[in-house]
Amino acid sequence: MDELPLHKIAISGPTLASIIQRFSTSPGAVDGLLFGHVTYVTPSTLSDDSASESSTLVATITGFLCSGTINSFYDSTGAVQLHSLCRLLSDPVLNHHPSLIGWFSCRRKTHLRPSMREFAVTASLSSLTQFAFPVRNAPGCTNFNPCLFLLLASPLADQSIHTHEYRAYQFRRVTESFDPKSMDIVNLGPAFRGHYGSFSPNAPFPSLACNFRNSAMNEDQDERILNQMKKVSKDQKELDTCADGFDIGRLNRLVGSDATNYTSGLEDLYEKMLVKIENLARQVESSSAKVLEQENHNRRLRYKILKSAVPE
Amino acid sequence: MAADYVPPFIAAQLNHLLSHFPLTLKVEQMWSGSKHYPGVVDRFTLVIPYCLDFIRWDVIYDTESPTAAPDVVFGLEDEDFHPFHMEFAEGQLDLKPSKNCLGDWNNKDPTRLLALIQYLRDQYVSYQRKRVGKVDDDRLKFEISTVVSREGIEMQISSGSDKPEEVRFSVPLMDMNINKLVPGCPWRQNQKIFLQVIYPVGRKYMSAPSAPRLKLVSTPELKALFSIEDVKLPSWLDGMCLAEYLPQLEESLEKQVLEAVSLIDVRRHFIEALACQFGRPVEADPVFCRKATFLAASGVFTFLVHLIIPTQFPKQQPALLLQSSQHFNAYMAPIKSRIMTDYPWSPRWEASMMAESIFEFLADEALNFKRQLNEGQLQ
Repeated sequence: MDELPLHKIAISGPTLASIIQRFSTSPGAVDGLLFGHVTYVTPSTLSDDSASESSTLVATITGFLCSGTINSFYDSTGAVQLHSLCRLLSDPVLNHHPSLIGWFSCRRKTHLRPSMREFAVTASLSSLTQFAFPVRNAPGCTNFNPCLFLLLASPLADQSIHTHEYRAYQFRRVTESFDPKSMDIVNLGPAFRGHYGSFSPNAPFPSLACNFRNSAMNEDQDERILNQMKKVSKDQKELDTCADGFDIGRLNRLVGSDATNYTSGLEDLYEKMLVKIENLARQVESSSAKVLEQENHNRRLRYKILKSAVPE
Repeated sequence: MAADYVPPFIAAQLNHLLSHFPLTLKVEQMWSGSKHYPGVVDRFTLVIPYCLDFIRWDVIYDTESPTAAPDVVFGLEDEDFHPFHMEFAEGQLDLKPSKNCLGDWNNKDPTRLLALIQYLRDQYVSYQRKRVGKVDDDRLKFEISTVVSREGIEMQISSGSDKPEEVRFSVPLMDMNINKLVPGCPWRQNQKIFLQVIYPVGRKYMSAPSAPRLKLVSTPELKALFSIEDVKLPSWLDGMCLAEYLPQLEESLEKQVLEAVSLIDVRRHFIEALACQFGRPVEADPVFCRKATFLAASGVFTFLVHLIIPTQFPKQQPALLLQSSQHFNAYMAPIKSRIMTDYPWSPRWEASMMAESIFEFLADEALNFKRQLNEGQLQ
């Protein structure tokens, strides 16, 4: 079964920036997995041109997992090693990520075209049907294999301006070749004005329905609010865990005569929150220090291997 | 680390590759991809001879993962070349070759890179052969079917945006080991002569297709023995095919190479005959007998006589060059005469007669040379 040809690949600016950041801070080449979804998009802009496609297939990269090294889920011949891949995928960070859509490779000072091994890895990865996932809004039941490949490289020659080059491909199993695809960075440039028409949020965010029951303007909406009660109360519970008992309804008492009594209470809340955040920051700091220490240790070990004499 | 430094495990594999590969490889460029050790070289471009041309492959190691096998980025025009994927495509279930050269990579084994490059080049030969086989041209299909079984034949399809598509063949000629014919042969590489055949891709059937472009190419060191520029190619008759053309070309070439080998002895006799006139040579080329240098004197004026003996000797006469041992130019280099070939000569003479003629000519020319030196005419 061949994948449907993609029209383009979309990636959000922060995601691409984080990949590039991981690449530029890593000591050597790195690879990793890409996550996202594939959607049938009906263009919202109407065109007089009858030849224009009625709908297009867009792959959106929403997240990634950088292994910090090379050969993280495949061997040196480029064959995917399922146990390594599953170990990477079992990372708890990936809970909210949708489906494995492909992988990426970053290497310094090389030509921006897929290498021998990168081809083999992509071919191997895209043949794993157990990772296929359904296409959203598809007319029929269509599955999509993880066949995306994102290649990042830096130019061979030293330049005064540091540049990162990238290119995205879809691997086509029928022709066994890379099909270069244009990559859109979401929200960047005028091309994205039409994007808002087909916007669908990726992150679940509770709707902040404030309950102003005594407002006369809301009476005609009471019925609808009733229907949403269950959902709202559930969202409210989620919010309450963060607010430490300060529910939103009590906030309106901040205004007026009672305000002074509540200021101290609120300050208490903020102080508690600050302590929590400071704790978190300390934990992050100490774990970062540990990571750095380990990385330096690894580098020293690697350097030792480098220097080790080779028997002629 | 200011100076470039090649880590020992890469250097060992690269040196082994360069000294043991059957063809002459070159490293065009070496650079570093490391962030922390910008002086540690871990990637390079290999220039590999293929089909009388060169292909360039980037071999990419990673100093951060020294135990990992290197990756290769092929040329821009070879984006469809996937050596490890071809096996799957051909249904070869036995994956031993790739397992051997990449599967259990050992960075401490200096022979690994050689095995990998050898394997990749072999795959490249069959990849190009397959590409050429897919060209839709009746005549080409026929030509391939008749010569494909020749050992060592290489093909290449070349197409640019601005020039017409053409298919190039490199056909190794003659099943003879030239190295073995030369006593005391100094060549490390096996010397070979190739016929380059270039077909324009027509895609249409023509009753009398035009002759392909033909050119002889030899390994560069063969020049010392035999110059392929002197070979006149047999003419390509109308309606001829390569399989018909090759036997007669090979036959005539074989004769010429054997003659060139026999000419070594003729040159050796000539140098020996010169020794009767000039005394023992100061220096002489013992293998191909292409050069000899004698010390001569005219009165108190001493000078060196260099003889440059062509491969076509005795048909062509040797070129003479005099070098003074008493006069130097501004750079303290000894002053030399012009190259002289304008002396009496007949290829039918005996070697002793030739030597005598040169000796007599130089007796006069030495005075000339001396006068020119004293008058400062030569630099």
